[in-house]
Amino acid sequence: MRRLNQDAVIAIFLLLASGILFWSTFSIRTPDYGVLTPAAWPRVIIFALALLSFLYLIQSLKKGVDENAVADREPGLKSWLVYWQNPIYCFAFFLTYLLTLPVLGSLIGGVLFVFILMSILGGVSKEKIVTHAALSLATVGGMWCIFTYGLEVILPQGMIFSAF
Amino acid sequence: MVIENVLAALNELATVQTFILMVIGVAGGLIAGAIPGFTIAMAVVLTLPFTFGMPAVQGIATMVSVLVGGLSGGLMAGILTGIPGTPSSVATTFDGHPMAKQGKAGLALGIGVWSSFFGGIISAILLMTLAPQLANIGLEFQPWDYFMLVMFALTITASLAGKNLIKGLIAGVVGLLVRTVGEDEAVGMARLNFGNDALLQGFDFIAVLIGLFAFSRLLHDVRDPESARKRLSAGTGDGNISVAIEHLAAIKIIFKHWTLLIRSSLIGVFTGVLPGAGGSIANILAYDQAKKTSKTPSKFGTGTPEGIIAPESSNNAVEGGALMTLMALGIPGDVTAAVMLGALLVHDIVPSPTFITEEPVLAYSIFLSFFGATFMMLGLQSGMLRIFVLVTRVRMYMLAAIILGLCGIGVYAIHNVEFDLWTLLWFGILGVLMRQFGFPLAPMILGVVLGNIAELNLARAMAITTDLTLFVTRPWALFFLIIAIFSSAFPIYQVYRGAKKWTMFYLPVACFAVSGPLFMMGGVPRTTLAAVVVLFGAYTLWRRQQAGWVFERDEEEIDEPQISEGK
Repeated sequence: MRRLNQDAVIAIFLLLASGILFWSTFSIRTPDYGVLTPAAWPRVIIFALALLSFLYLIQSLKKGVDENAVADREPGLKSWLVYWQNPIYCFAFFLTYLLTLPVLGSLIGGVLFVFILMSILGGVSKEKIVTHAALSLATVGGMWCIFTYGLEVILPQGMIFSAF
Repeated sequence: MVIENVLAALNELATVQTFILMVIGVAGGLIAGAIPGFTIAMAVVLTLPFTFGMPAVQGIATMVSVLVGGLSGGLMAGILTGIPGTPSSVATTFDGHPMAKQGKAGLALGIGVWSSFFGGIISAILLMTLAPQLANIGLEFQPWDYFMLVMFALTITASLAGKNLIKGLIAGVVGLLVRTVGEDEAVGMARLNFGNDALLQGFDFIAVLIGLFAFSRLLHDVRDPESARKRLSAGTGDGNISVAIEHLAAIKIIFKHWTLLIRSSLIGVFTGVLPGAGGSIANILAYDQAKKTSKTPSKFGTGTPEGIIAPESSNNAVEGGALMTLMALGIPGDVTAAVMLGALLVHDIVPSPTFITEEPVLAYSIFLSFFGATFMMLGLQSGMLRIFVLVTRVRMYMLAAIILGLCGIGVYAIHNVEFDLWTLLWFGILGVLMRQFGFPLAPMILGVVLGNIAELNLARAMAITTDLTLFVTRPWALFFLIIAIFSSAFPIYQVYRGAKKWTMFYLPVACFAVSGPLFMMGGVPRTTLAAVVVLFGAYTLWRRQQAGWVFERDEEEIDEPQISEGK
């Protein structure tokens, strides 16, 4: 594994995914009518994906491991987490926003999401908290009002908001 | 007929509400274009949810306005601070910023604004006159031809999208695969949903686009905690915003270089027609052509007006070309046009060669809104100068958090389906991974957009006959196949150009091969065109033979930029 470069690992992953997806096409029901079966087009695409992944694998194996490559971070899980901390925060908070959507709704949840994310990414100080709160209320609140009252789109209200 | 359609479209557009929405759209596009890292495609994508609740004409006019505004927004920040707001304004900074530093910022801005305006107008005229003609050609297309056209669009996008062709092709194929998930359109059978009922409806195209594009881009931009907290244009430029745009002097200079203006605009339109190529390529190409044809090439880079006219007129002309193929053939020329296609689909409008004749009011509304937005852009550019510079001082983390929050509301609003928000999240993660591992996003997005068109045409072709040879024997299908092959080989040709002998024959062979299907099409114009192409190929071969099988200096290529997913 150590001798494989990043591209080779991705190529192997894609080949495995192609295999699983191709296998799953056999569970697609075939109707008695029509010339092109529902499984035909996905199979063509998956075959093309497998072929390209194979070429990608050969290309990456030929390239080999670049011993002189300078990594932009130290090896190890801790370093990886530090390197990716901001995107991880974004995903984690967006995931939380989705999971709490039935309770908080898009207005309260959205404002909290933007406020917390800003405070985590930008740091906390008295001045910043006021700015972040004002910005979250103005942007999410404004958009919520445009959709709800201007475009008459029903957004998730959430249990808290519906109670009022 | 044309006048009737124009009047009918004008009647639809001429409402106070539409006018206000268009002004807001242009202003929003200009601001988005001015923010480094905030691409035009992202601005258009984020506008899409707002247009869902609007009537089709109003929604499309708003989207077109954002697009036109975005195309011009990058020049202000580029000229004043030296940081191009969008990749399509990169070449503008080469001469725009030096001119501003010489104390002629007002003149530089004037030349930029008016070149953008004239480029947009030329492009709009060509769009209005050529799109119906292109649609007439499109009427000749049969399912085999359409299928091959989609394949061509995907391969050329993959070949233009990055250094690694295989990665580009893999991205395109993954895009096609994403589109197959859920019930198939022909017979309604569940595919690749792994028993998950939510997946039966498939991934929503807009949620996929926003996830792959906007979500992943923002996360990529805030990856470094230090730079995420800095102002976008901190430490650059003198921040001088007490500048008055010199309109009259700028117009005089542009008229003096009218041939350059027209040539650059045509380069822009042609680049827009080409699938996958956009403003990021057009502005560099036009700048390079301007330098090559200039009487004073040594002045380029020091603040010459020609260095602003060429890139700014070309990048505004691009979208006319991209909309041309979208409206006439239903094939988006780039990511931004793909989003426009999404906007049309949201309003149950499917562009095709019959689109302009069947939906003339809507089609002419797009033409007219393109015109109208270009005029609005001119007025707003002058009035919003201070705002353009101020927005470049925003901090990235604030922008990212706000846009992510707005995505969370906007994506839900399109179909009122919570699953779309999950789609946004998963494709956001996929987008970040793809960026990290060097896979271009543009082919994947086009794959997602074109997947259905490809499958439907394949199904139609197979329903007519199971004879597969028609994919390579029909003139149009063969034409697209040949240019797909040569466009796929183009990156390899670029790498080995001059170093390997076979590269001497690439262009002549391409000419001879393309002339074949053109001859097969018959008719005087196409046969003449085929003969011209053959003669050009033979002439190129002869010149190379005369030169002793080496590339001439004037054929040397410029350093083309990597195509970005946005313009």
